[in-house]
This record gives sequence, structure tokens and C-alpha cells, in this order.
Amino acid sequence: MIIDSRTMESEDEESLLGQSEEEEDSELSDDALQEAFAKGLLKPGMNVYVERSKQFVNNVEGLKHCLADFRKDLPWVERLDMTNLPAEDVIFKAEGKVSSGKAGDVNADDDFQREMFFYRQAQATVLDALPLLNKHGIATKRPDDYFAEMSKSDQQMQKIRKKLISKQLILEKSEKAKKLREQRKFGKKVQVEVIQKRQKDKRAMMTAVKKYQKGMTDKLDFLEGDKKKGKDSSQATPASNKVAAKKGPNSKRKFKDQKFGFGGKKSGKKWNTKESHNDVSSFRAKVANAKGSKGAKKGAKGGKQNKRPGKSVRKKIKSRS
Amino acid sequence: MSAFKRKRGRQDANKKAKKVKYVAAGGEAPVEAEQEKNNEITIPPPVSSGRWTNKERVLIFSSRGINYRTRHLMQDLRTLMPHAKADTKMDRKDKLFIVNEVCEIKNCNKCLFFEAKKKQDLYMWISNSPHGPSAKFLVQNIHTLAELKMTGNCLKGSRPLLSFDPKFDTEPHFALLKELFTQTFSTPRYHPKSQPFVDHVFTFTIADNRIWFRNYQIMEEDAALVEVGPRFVLNLIKIFQGSFGGPTLFENQGFQSPNMVRKLILTKRITNTKLSKDKG
Repeated sequence: MIIDSRTMESEDEESLLGQSEEEEDSELSDDALQEAFAKGLLKPGMNVYVERSKQFVNNVEGLKHCLADFRKDLPWVERLDMTNLPAEDVIFKAEGKVSSGKAGDVNADDDFQREMFFYRQAQATVLDALPLLNKHGIATKRPDDYFAEMSKSDQQMQKIRKKLISKQLILEKSEKAKKLREQRKFGKKVQVEVIQKRQKDKRAMMTAVKKYQKGMTDKLDFLEGDKKKGKDSSQATPASNKVAAKKGPNSKRKFKDQKFGFGGKKSGKKWNTKESHNDVSSFRAKVANAKGSKGAKKGAKGGKQNKRPGKSVRKKIKSRS
Repeated sequence: MSAFKRKRGRQDANKKAKKVKYVAAGGEAPVEAEQEKNNEITIPPPVSSGRWTNKERVLIFSSRGINYRTRHLMQDLRTLMPHAKADTKMDRKDKLFIVNEVCEIKNCNKCLFFEAKKKQDLYMWISNSPHGPSAKFLVQNIHTLAELKMTGNCLKGSRPLLSFDPKFDTEPHFALLKELFTQTFSTPRYHPKSQPFVDHVFTFTIADNRIWFRNYQIMEEDAALVEVGPRFVLNLIKIFQGSFGGPTLFENQGFQSPNMVRKLILTKRITNTKLSKDKG
């Protein structure tokens, strides 16, 4: 790799010679370079390195000659080699996709596809080789009573088994936890719904009762079932009831309504509104910022004049007095 | 582990009592199993007499400065290939052709030599020792036998099936590599340390201009496979006519040495930061 400095040198010389052209010939300035790069006129590596065209040796004749010399003509039984494409992918067929990797390249970056390719290649080999092996009298299946040393020790296989089991356990646990969470959510939902329904019913009942009490309706339809029997005794006739409801506990009720209100939702008069919240006219900076200094001075005077004691102290005082 | 000679046809009664045993005369243990089959299907008797004729020996060793993963990979290969021999680490100060002499001393005709550079990059030489061709690879993505994700297991010293991608037949250099791999990795028949069963398969596949190696155990006769490991990826660098030297027969165009790769990444990062600094 060499840096291509030939063209840059000639341009340098030109710019030195023709200084009047400097402003026009602005291709060497950094800003212009960056602009050109941004536009895509310059490729990122092109102006830094230039690949020297290297001759790669590929001596085909030599390779063939060498192979001919080197090759040993052994019977297949000695070598046990096979060359084959991967076997049919059953899953692919089932899904209806066309296996694209048959004749073409397998994508080395797609891990799963690549490993499946290797697996299927091995499968095809095994399927083709088994009959040949049988013909030559070489067994592939070990009889049950044949004990021999394995490549991996028993200890190693135990470790592997343990790991697999632990993986399975973890999976099961997470499944269980998920299900439990779902159940709890569902149960919570159901509970909330039931409570809301009850509250709604109660509210409806209360408004209906109030309406009746205030004389807006004279129907007792809101009462159901066994409650109807209870109310039946108080109900004489609709007409007389109406009159009684009008005149009955009127003055006292009136007075009380006046004093205490009609019940129902709190008026919210003690709550902040936008205007009251934004109203900072009652803010005294002196008082607000006067924690440390003034307290020390007034401590001598007699302490708790402006300072309000804490909650526990107040409670104590209250319980004492 | 002593290679004791056995007479043909002699059925040892205490064979089954031993836990660890090596069948020297290929096929005596499974003969009982096969004889039952023989009654139903006539299998022709083996043609060869059962002597170990294909004298392949592979020397597997490394240079100094290898890390634990490489060491384990070497040990795994020695376990899988009963026709392999081990040797002490070679000093990197010596020239490469000394490897040939080491091979000769050990009476091996193939060699797998692992070379570690900068404690990061691993190169593998595979060669046919006295005169034959040799190749140098960069090894990547090593996973050893001991990894817990490789759940399969195979007999120690059992003969492998070798499976090659059809792409190995397309190019002459791949054909040469295929022959080299076949001779190196296949266990000779009737090798004294080999088991007579064929229960695992090595796959060599070409993808992304690299050679991927996998080892699967044959679980069922219907080709259900489980990976045994190890697994690695070989990136071809050069093929030489001689063993660890000689004229270059082939050079891989797409190969970038790991140093170059690191340098490229670094310069790219530097130029990117410079550009972003100038812009901002």
C-alpha cells in the first residue's frame, strides 16, 4: 500500500506558482475536501492509499502435477471420504420455501443457516456411506456390551448433562413465573372490576335514594327484591305520600340543608385552582429565607415564638394538656 | 496400549470383561454382532487380511507462545486421531525446515504444526513430510471438545467418515487440499489404536472463501447427528510445493493478514475521528 502523493505534489507546485489562482483552485482546502466527500465525489479510502496491483501466484500446472505425484490410490475403505451436497432440508420443504443454498453459496454470516448447511452435508454423507460401509463389513453401531474409552470422559458428559438439565430448569422456572405474573394481573383486573361495579351500584342507589328523599321522584323502582318488602310498609298511597313528602320534615330539613349542604361530592373549595396556584402575592421572601440567621437571634428571646414545633412534639403537648 | 498380536479368528473370552480395550485385528468384537446379521444377509468377507498397511503417521505439535485454547485444540486432535504423535514445543528461533527433521526422527509422514504469533494469531501448517506439498492456514473461531455446548461423544480412536463440499473439486488448489486432508485426517484401517466402528464424521465445507471444519457423532442409522467438536475455520494463505518451503504453488488473493486487518481498523477509526473533528 502506498500513499498516492504524485498527483498531490504536482498540484502543490501549481498552486505555488499561480498564487493568483489560489482562490479559484480551492480543491485542496480542507473545507472543500469535506464538501466533496460529503457529496460523494471522493471515496473514503481512495485518496489515502493506493493498492499496488500485486501478482498472486496460481500455478495451476504445478498444482496438478503435485497432486498427481502426491495422490495415493487407496481403496475407499482406507480413506472413507465422500463428497456430496447437503441433504434435502425437510423443514424448508414443509414451509414451502425453496432452499436457495443448494447450488449457490451458503451465507457464512447467518449462523443458523450455515450450521444447518454443514449438518445436512454430514447427513447426506452418512446416508450415502452407510450402505457402502455395510458392504465392506464395517459396523457403525456399537453393540451394547462393548465398553471402550471415549473421546470425552464420563465426567465431561456428566457436566454436559447437568448443564442441559439446568438450562431446562431455568426455562421452566421462567415460564412458571411468567404464568404466575399473568394470573396475578388477571386476578387483580377482575378484583378491580368487581370493586368498581359495586361502587357504581352503590352510587346509583344513593342518588336514587336522595332523589326520592328530595321529592324528585316518587317511584321506588331502585329498590329490588327483598328491599321492596321493607319499603312497602312506609309507602301508603302515591298521592298522600306526595303531599306528606312535600310538607313533612320541611323546615328542619331546610335549615340543615342550608347549614350543611346537600351532601354529595365535596365542592373542592379548599383545593387549589390554576389562579390560586399561580398567585404568589402572599410570598414573603424575608420570612421564607430567614431560617438560619433569625432563628439564632430569636433563640435568645424565647424560642418558640415564631417557630412551630414538630409533629411529635405537638402530639405530646396535645396529649399532655 | 501395547500392540499385541492376535491370531486370526481367535475369540477371546475375557474380552468383554476389560473396560478399556483396543481391537488390533479390526473387527473381531463386532463379528459376533455381525454374525447374527450374517444369517439373514450375506455379507462378503473382508477382502484384506486385517493387517495395517496404510502407514500414515501425523505429527502434531506447536511452537512456543500458544494459548490455552490452541493447546486444547491440539490435544483434541490427538485424541481424535489415533495415528497422531505428539512432540515438544519447537523454538521459534529455528528455521521452519527443521520441522522436517523432527518429522523424520519421529518417523511421521504428515505434520500438523501450529504456530502462534503475538499470542493472538494462530497459523496452522499441514504438510506431507519429506517432499510433498504443504499449506499454511490462519485458524480462527476455535471451539474445543471441552465446550459444554458440544454434547456428542465418540469412541476414542474410531475411524471417521470424511465429508467434503463439492466445491473442493472445482479448483485445482482445493483438490490438492482435499487430498491432503484426506490423507492426514483419515485413520488408517487396522491401526492398532483404532476402534473398528465408524461413528463420527468430519465435514470440510467451503464458505466465504474459508474452510469450515466440524465433527459430528452419528447417533442413529437414519443420520441423526450431534456435534462432538472441535470446530475451527481455516483461512488459506499459501500452498507450497515442498514441505515447509519450496516454490509457491498458490496464493490466496482474498487473504489479509491479521496485522493488516488490525491496521486497517485503526486507520479507519483515526480518519473517522479526524473527519468528525474537522467537521465539528
